[in-house]
Amino acid sequence: MAKNLCNPWKYTGCVVVFVLLTACEGLFDGIYDQPPAAPAPAPTPTEVQTDSDSISKVTIQGKLYIDASSWKDWYYVDLQAMAQATAAGRDIDSTVTAYPIPTTLTREDDGRTGIYTYWFDVWVHGLSVNEYRSFKPTDPQPEPPNWTFAVHRNNVRTHGGAAYETTATSMEDVQFDRDHATFVSDRWTETEVWADQSQMIMNLIGSQGIEVNPVLSSWLRVDIPPMPPAFILNNHVFILRLADGTYAALQLENYQSATGTKCHLTIHYKYPL
Amino acid sequence: MNRLFALLILLFAVFPLSSFAEQIDTTFNLNDVVVTATRTPKLLKDVPIQTRLITAKDIERTDATHIQDLLQQELPGIEFSYAMNQQIHLNFNGFGGQSVLFLVDGERLAGETLDDVDFTRLNMADVGRIEIVKGAASALYGSNAAAGVINIITQEGGSPWMLNVGARLARHNEQRYGGSFSLNRKRVSNTLNVNYTGIDNFNVTSGPQPETRVFSTVYGDKTFHFKDKFTVRPMDGMKLTLRAGYFYRTLSRNPDTPERYRDFTARLRGIWDISAADNIEVSYSFDQYDKSDYQKIAGLDIRDYSNVQNAVRAIYSHHFSNTGVLTAGSDFMHDYLFNPRLDGKSRKQDNVDAFAQMDWNISPQWELVGALRYDYFSDSHDSHLTPKLTACYRFPQNHKTAEPQNLTLRFGYGMGFRAPTLKERYYNFDMAGIWTVLGNDQLQSEVSHNLNVSLEWTRSRYNFTAALYYNHVRNKIATGIPFYKPDHTKQLYLSYTNLDCYRVCGAEATIQAHWAGGFSGRLCYAYTQEQLPKDHDGSTQYIPARPHSLTARLDWDKDFTKNYRLNVGISGRFLSAVEGKEYVDYYDISRGTTAIHYPAYTLWKLSTMQTVGRRFRLTVAVDNLFNYRPKYYYFNAPVTDGINLQVGVSVTLQ
Repeated sequence: MAKNLCNPWKYTGCVVVFVLLTACEGLFDGIYDQPPAAPAPAPTPTEVQTDSDSISKVTIQGKLYIDASSWKDWYYVDLQAMAQATAAGRDIDSTVTAYPIPTTLTREDDGRTGIYTYWFDVWVHGLSVNEYRSFKPTDPQPEPPNWTFAVHRNNVRTHGGAAYETTATSMEDVQFDRDHATFVSDRWTETEVWADQSQMIMNLIGSQGIEVNPVLSSWLRVDIPPMPPAFILNNHVFILRLADGTYAALQLENYQSATGTKCHLTIHYKYPL
Repeated sequence: MNRLFALLILLFAVFPLSSFAEQIDTTFNLNDVVVTATRTPKLLKDVPIQTRLITAKDIERTDATHIQDLLQQELPGIEFSYAMNQQIHLNFNGFGGQSVLFLVDGERLAGETLDDVDFTRLNMADVGRIEIVKGAASALYGSNAAAGVINIITQEGGSPWMLNVGARLARHNEQRYGGSFSLNRKRVSNTLNVNYTGIDNFNVTSGPQPETRVFSTVYGDKTFHFKDKFTVRPMDGMKLTLRAGYFYRTLSRNPDTPERYRDFTARLRGIWDISAADNIEVSYSFDQYDKSDYQKIAGLDIRDYSNVQNAVRAIYSHHFSNTGVLTAGSDFMHDYLFNPRLDGKSRKQDNVDAFAQMDWNISPQWELVGALRYDYFSDSHDSHLTPKLTACYRFPQNHKTAEPQNLTLRFGYGMGFRAPTLKERYYNFDMAGIWTVLGNDQLQSEVSHNLNVSLEWTRSRYNFTAALYYNHVRNKIATGIPFYKPDHTKQLYLSYTNLDCYRVCGAEATIQAHWAGGFSGRLCYAYTQEQLPKDHDGSTQYIPARPHSLTARLDWDKDFTKNYRLNVGISGRFLSAVEGKEYVDYYDISRGTTAIHYPAYTLWKLSTMQTVGRRFRLTVAVDNLFNYRPKYYYFNAPVTDGINLQVGVSVTLQ
């Protein structure tokens, strides 16, 4: 028996050589996913309904992929332009447009617009406990002539619009009472639009003083503590009432890129309702 | 709580000394075989380099799940704390985790996070014993062994077959389930071990205005371990062992993106006693440690870290009749690292070494061990020659009584080194805009010089050990002072660098006792004095070692009947306060540093273990007996929010 069992040495040697040659950079790659290629920021929407009398009645539905992870930019979306472009068969690549958050003042100071630096109780009580430290006036936020909503990380602004959160988690299930739903307009904040992280290790964060929509912004909550922050997705469908009285449905489907970048937003939209 | 320590000290003092010589060797495990200190099997009482042995019985009594649970209860001078991102960081007598070499059956572990191995990989379920050799051991083990070696040795099957299943439940939905099955025949044996552990996240609350960072959520995790060890003895004197393992851990810092950690190990080892005097060991080991984030929303499991180590080793030993043992060997390790945060995303290097050690029995009293090792690292073209010399003097037997004195004096010098890792050379990581951590391909190896002296004395029911050590460390590798680049004044950088020289010295004393009536106890004290590098003041990365620490354990064992055995144990640890330093303003370090006070604490655990018919065991323990809750959950505070009842059962069939 002992003699027979000696043979494993030979086989063992073969196995070792084989494994050495194949396993230098690891095994089991197949159990992981490869990050898919990044989709176009605004792929062509699907035309779901057309009224032949007017191109303004075209209803479009699709997804926007916006890398809004930068602290320094707002990204503007024009749903009306997208609907018109779709109806006319035009390219819509430029529908998502970045505009930087101003950091300097080149015109007259209005005493309100600028970067507000607050200390946040990051470690114990969280962001709700904060103290004002300084203000640096800047130019107002630049924006395109026409836009519907804008995103910056977990912040959302509307262009004179208002938002309402439904309980639906699917575009197909969305229902709301236009007459009784409570729409919330944008409101001023100087602690939420984080724009300056250069003092972050001292728990000091510079935020842009600007109006944001609290309802739409609730689609992605950032909890601190813990550290690093926890991102909480709210996948309800939101109704955006535009300044012209038309309605859009918006849903944040994902906030991460395939490589894990936070605030890389996948927004499902439908417009007009 | 301090009264408990006083009571234990009193117990050690007042219990009578009595004749106990015939049981000394077995009582204090002095006849157990250890292998780590010299890489050759030796009885604990004969080993020329002081070795602390944690036996399977010790592990059973502590009821530890992972290595950190065990070591904190058993050893003073050791502290597990949180690093950034709540990764577990080790401080081992003033050395960080990268300076302590963790081995499993003599093999290194792949993977690290913030300089420490993943301690949750080191599940205690299949551990037969743990050998701890303190002091520089790079002459035998190479890089990372500057502070010592902790070798976890897995169980060998004994009985023809054995089936064990067990479970333990505790607070925060802590669960532990496991089972093992072993089969032993004359020439073939196999042991399969499967374990699951889980604990929920829970929140803790600190008081107002902490002096530095605190944590507010303790992240629980779920782990799964699968290990199989197959041994065949094709002929007398030859043993072939094949070991395979899989480890999986997941935790949810972010609910939508649970982190996943996986490890795959395989090892083939052959040991052949060529003759009565010659022995050769050849092994190949594979260890792959991966990290990935599972994006629940997109359904993607994206790997963002992989460290793969392939190692081949050969060791030859020759026993000279009565005069000593010559050991010589060589290792080759291929190290591959993938990390998107690395410059180049992936890097690899080879490490080749050769070493020799002579363990020379000069006389019945004197033993001298000298070792020399050469290491070469291909990526940095760095090479090291590392010596070690240890002398051991065993006091001769008492001339009047003709009884052995059981008194051993050991002293020695050892060099330790730590080669910069691929991460430390090539890292480039923007840490959420706070600062960018930069690798440094000009890093030199960290080199330490260790002097140590120890005394071990066993008399009657007592075993006493005391040790002094001094370490002088050059070129310590760490992140340095934050800085701005001249052309980039908005972005703070933190670069790996070689720090100024620093020193760590300390002392340890342990007394163990076994008294009549089934009582036994152990009291260990460690003192650590660090003189940190001058250019290390205010680093955010380092919480100093606590100067004083104490561990204690008192057990009572009683066999009430042939089929009913009871163990009642109380164990505790005390860690003194320590002052750290942090910059007043990280963006203007000229404003100096401020002192951070980390308070002292003590924790106690009361446990009972009832064994019925040698098959059924019930363990009930009350951890954090005095309901200690830190006022501030600093990163080195104990991870507890109060008293914790733990109940475990185990059934063994054989």
